[in-house]
Amino acid sequence: MIKNILKRILIAIPVLIGVVLIIFIMLRIVPGDPVTTMMGEHVNQVVIDKVSREMGLDQPLYIQFFKYIGNALKGDFGTSYRLNRNVTKIILDAFPNTVKLSICAAVIAWLIGITAGIVAAINQNRLLDRLFMGGALAGVSMPVFMIALVLQYLFAFKFKWFPVSGYDSLACMILPAIALGWNSAGSIARMTRSNLVEVMQDDYIRTARAKGLMESGVIIGHALKNAMLPVVTMMALQISSMLSGAVLTESVFGIPGIGRLAVNAIENRDMPLLQGTVIFTTILVIIGNMIADMLYSVLDPRIREGA
Amino acid sequence: MGIEMKKTDPQEVPESTGLKASAFEDPAAQLGEQETWADQVKKLVRQNKLAAFSAVLIVVIILMAVFAPLVSPYDPYAQALKDRLLAPSAAHWLGTDELGRDMLSRIIYGARISLTIGLVPTLISMVIGTILGLIAGYYGGKLDFAIMRLADVMLAFPSLLLAMVVMYTMGGGLVNIFIALSLVNWAGTARIVRAQTLSLKEAEYVEAARSIGVKSRTILLRHILPNCLPSLIVLFTLNIPSAILSESSLSFLGVGARPPSASWGLAVVRGKKYLFTEPWLSIAPSIAIMVIVMAFNFLGDGLRDVLDPYLKEQ
Amino acid sequence: MKKRVSLVLAVAVAASLAVSGCGGNSGTGTSAPAGESAPAGETGETGAADQSVSTVDTSGFLVASINSDIQTADVHKTTKDYQVPMNIYDCLVSIEVKDDGSSEVVPALAEDWEISDDALTYTFHLRQDVTFHNGDLLKASDVEYSFNRQLSTEGAVNTDFLAQIAGANELIEGAADKLEGFETVDDYTFKITLIEPYAGFLACLSAPGCSIYSEKATEAAGDQFGLDPSLTVGTGPFKFADWIINDQMVLVRNEEYWKGASKLPGVVIKVVPDTETQRMMFENGQLDIVDLDYLPDAVDDFTNRYPDQIISGPRLGTTYFTMNQNIEPFQDVKVRKAVQMAIDRQAVLDAMYGGRGQLENGIFPHGLYGFNENLPEIQYDPEAAKALLAEAGYPNGFDMEIAADSSASDAVNQALEIIQAQLGEIGINAEIKTMDESTWLATRKAGEMGSFMSTWTADYNDPDNFIYTFFGNGENTKLRSLNYPDTEVMERVQKARSIVDPDERVAEYHALEEKIVSEDAAWVPMYSRLHPFAVSKRVQGFTVSWSGLGDVFFYGLSLSE
Repeated sequence: MIKNILKRILIAIPVLIGVVLIIFIMLRIVPGDPVTTMMGEHVNQVVIDKVSREMGLDQPLYIQFFKYIGNALKGDFGTSYRLNRNVTKIILDAFPNTVKLSICAAVIAWLIGITAGIVAAINQNRLLDRLFMGGALAGVSMPVFMIALVLQYLFAFKFKWFPVSGYDSLACMILPAIALGWNSAGSIARMTRSNLVEVMQDDYIRTARAKGLMESGVIIGHALKNAMLPVVTMMALQISSMLSGAVLTESVFGIPGIGRLAVNAIENRDMPLLQGTVIFTTILVIIGNMIADMLYSVLDPRIREGA
Repeated sequence: MGIEMKKTDPQEVPESTGLKASAFEDPAAQLGEQETWADQVKKLVRQNKLAAFSAVLIVVIILMAVFAPLVSPYDPYAQALKDRLLAPSAAHWLGTDELGRDMLSRIIYGARISLTIGLVPTLISMVIGTILGLIAGYYGGKLDFAIMRLADVMLAFPSLLLAMVVMYTMGGGLVNIFIALSLVNWAGTARIVRAQTLSLKEAEYVEAARSIGVKSRTILLRHILPNCLPSLIVLFTLNIPSAILSESSLSFLGVGARPPSASWGLAVVRGKKYLFTEPWLSIAPSIAIMVIVMAFNFLGDGLRDVLDPYLKEQ
Repeated sequence: MKKRVSLVLAVAVAASLAVSGCGGNSGTGTSAPAGESAPAGETGETGAADQSVSTVDTSGFLVASINSDIQTADVHKTTKDYQVPMNIYDCLVSIEVKDDGSSEVVPALAEDWEISDDALTYTFHLRQDVTFHNGDLLKASDVEYSFNRQLSTEGAVNTDFLAQIAGANELIEGAADKLEGFETVDDYTFKITLIEPYAGFLACLSAPGCSIYSEKATEAAGDQFGLDPSLTVGTGPFKFADWIINDQMVLVRNEEYWKGASKLPGVVIKVVPDTETQRMMFENGQLDIVDLDYLPDAVDDFTNRYPDQIISGPRLGTTYFTMNQNIEPFQDVKVRKAVQMAIDRQAVLDAMYGGRGQLENGIFPHGLYGFNENLPEIQYDPEAAKALLAEAGYPNGFDMEIAADSSASDAVNQALEIIQAQLGEIGINAEIKTMDESTWLATRKAGEMGSFMSTWTADYNDPDNFIYTFFGNGENTKLRSLNYPDTEVMERVQKARSIVDPDERVAEYHALEEKIVSEDAAWVPMYSRLHPFAVSKRVQGFTVSWSGLGDVFFYGLSLSE
């Protein structure tokens, strides 16, 4: 087991280095002068040149890169152009809000997705099945920000059930979490359904049925157990798409999380901040994938034995 | 009876004629003989009415986009400042936008751009992904390692963020959207193609072909690629809607398509601020996006059931 | 099984938290019961603490919004984020707008001043009762420190305001470490000597960029000045109490304010990037003041529904459309005049801003010192424009390029689409090229941009701030991609800075403006806009600030309970 974990960490290291390298290069081939953009209209050229020098932007690229890597290893992602603060600190301040949002979204995705999946599987090929699966697909087919906006408009503005924006109470989090979780809920529902349908054909389920157990008892007791395994892994893999979605949801609902930082960084052409947020979120994804792998081997006895 | 047996017995032919062994055991070739495209379409229609309907819908939308000048009631670029923000009416079925342009016409023309955004980057990323996947799976070794680690790196990025970085670097605009979305999506394809190549490589007919000295390139193109095609078609169908959605997200973040090009995503974003007073301006293009995305998704699901047992297991 | 799964998930999340070394910033704020939000204008107790995490008790505070976070509250390092600085610092002088719309420089931290006969030396007398938020008294040494820092601190951007002072350029370039033209007489008196007479100098000192800092506190704060609220100290009516990035800034009343403490206990400035969200927050009573510049398309609707709650003021700025005289065929004045006449400016203003504003015919906008209401009006006349084009040798029009900045507001870029169509009417085929901001700025700075539209808003109330920026010298006209060729006119603009007699100076500006815009058609003056705000019913005393900056000055506001 420990060997397994170590192996996965070893695999992750080159990926991490690749991530940093790619982002670093991509952001350095930007046309235009970042300092000019950052400082705005009313500034004279002498000042702009001075600031460029101070930020080390006149040095060769490879020196900038190794400096960056060195600092990053120490946990220092540089200083944001726009916010003038240490990027690491900005990100860590914003991080708990994104985590809160993502956990709420995951719970909602989980609840809606599995319930819908079970209902659909029990009523396989009947109206309810079609309805739920159609709904799941419809949710995945709308632009996320539009879902967010419509939810906000209806439930916060028209009906006043929830606050329009904010982030510190559960009530504030519900709408953003639904907007963000919907997408995953759709995938989870579809996967739960297809797994259940498949598992229900298996012999031992038939045996259980033959023993006279109730239909729903059968499903919850036996089928779900086996059907859940891939769903669990999928949840972990959804971290990546959740973080993508958070960029949009946070902007609509005014949640000061990492996604907002990325958008800020783009708007203000704040390269160190953009670099930091992308690298940080990518590290999260990599860790998430590692955990998914491990979870899978913990939960699935066959793999554990094999490993 | 005995003669017929000989004719259909694949084992005999290579020995007697010296033809390539593979052609006869190759599942792709068999597929061609046993199950024609027509058969598959029939199967699709029979099995999954929704997918069939979606296919028809997609064709209709494509035709609409191609013949936009004939279909749309007005010039989508003609401004009429006096008629701005009109509600839907008999004259303007979906109302007019902030510059008095007919919304229905703009959506019809917008289909051209949104479909292009769906098709072009998906095609590019799949070509790249397929080539790299074939190479990685077939040749193995260091090449495989390098390609797959690169794929790992690309897959590690949250896709929207990566696309944002590309747009940040290169600026908005259609061509840059193509590049951004292609860069983001090739790795998934590469992984699937590689996995299939790995298993096909072991197949008897490939081994046989190799043993009689058929060139690697020929094997890849003639024998392995055709067998990946069903998966690729399904992937292609399923990647198109995600590209369309990604573009709308990029537009929302202000780094997507740019006016005056009227992609549906951009139309939603520009209509968003009229949500309170002229909601049709954002809802109409949203529904357009939803319809095309759902159609492609349904079609992809249907195709998967018919064509591709491999992806279904994934 | 399900239980176990969620347990595992929780562990996974906890693990990822641990790995990333997160600290967490949960605070003490209370949560909002959702049902309690009241309709706009009837708010009694909605404070920002209802929705957010803050260490300050913000109940009873006014709630305003901005759409993106500020960069810093250090005005020496920003040219646009004045919302907080305007309320926590003071300048030596300020601007007062009279009922007839004209404005004058009035005392602030400096209670009095004398100007020498040669107009080179200004002697200022400071108020003696002003304390900083940390309790220290304001002294002349603080002013000297502030000016030195404004010119020489790392990343200083507001150097232009003081560049007229003797020795300023040496300080900017690092050749000196002290401002030569500044002489401290005693704790409350100092003299400033200029390089040459400059009539706009006093007005310059009213710009928020020239705020006065405390030497002791600013030195102690080091590079955290302007970033850490507790270290960011001024003399203004509010103290900077709290700042959560991307969430909110909190200002708390300065009880010792030299003009008397504000009636507001404090202000919360929420950062709300999505304009529809801002709108919903206002309508649900979560915001007291919304800058409707963020949501121009909501103004009409708001005016219908909250007729008493929309307050507008002029925005001291001219929106202009340029023609690059280095690019064919804009060297020809007839072509430029044709473009001036081909654009239906009123139509653009009506369509994009509901007609809220005034057409401008020159350089100086309505409300600016030196505004000339007698300038010849530029008529919308496409027929005459076509005739002029034909005269100039372009009966079938020509091709041109308009550069759009993708980061500009939708209204600006849609206005360009309207202009494009209007130019099309007289046969000019204009192509809009959208660029991202940095490319746009770089192209413009290189003097290579064909045409663009932008707005110049006043930093301080003086015509020089406008005319010098665009037509002051060859470099300036190139930086704006105007490439105005008349060096004689530019010399006059330069000389006008030092005319001492106000009437003579204004007359010269009027003449220059008429020459540049009416005769030479060097640009198309578009309009100046009104700046509308929506204000909740409980806010009393709201007025729109005179300045081009558009930020809200909270001193003088109060909330009715």
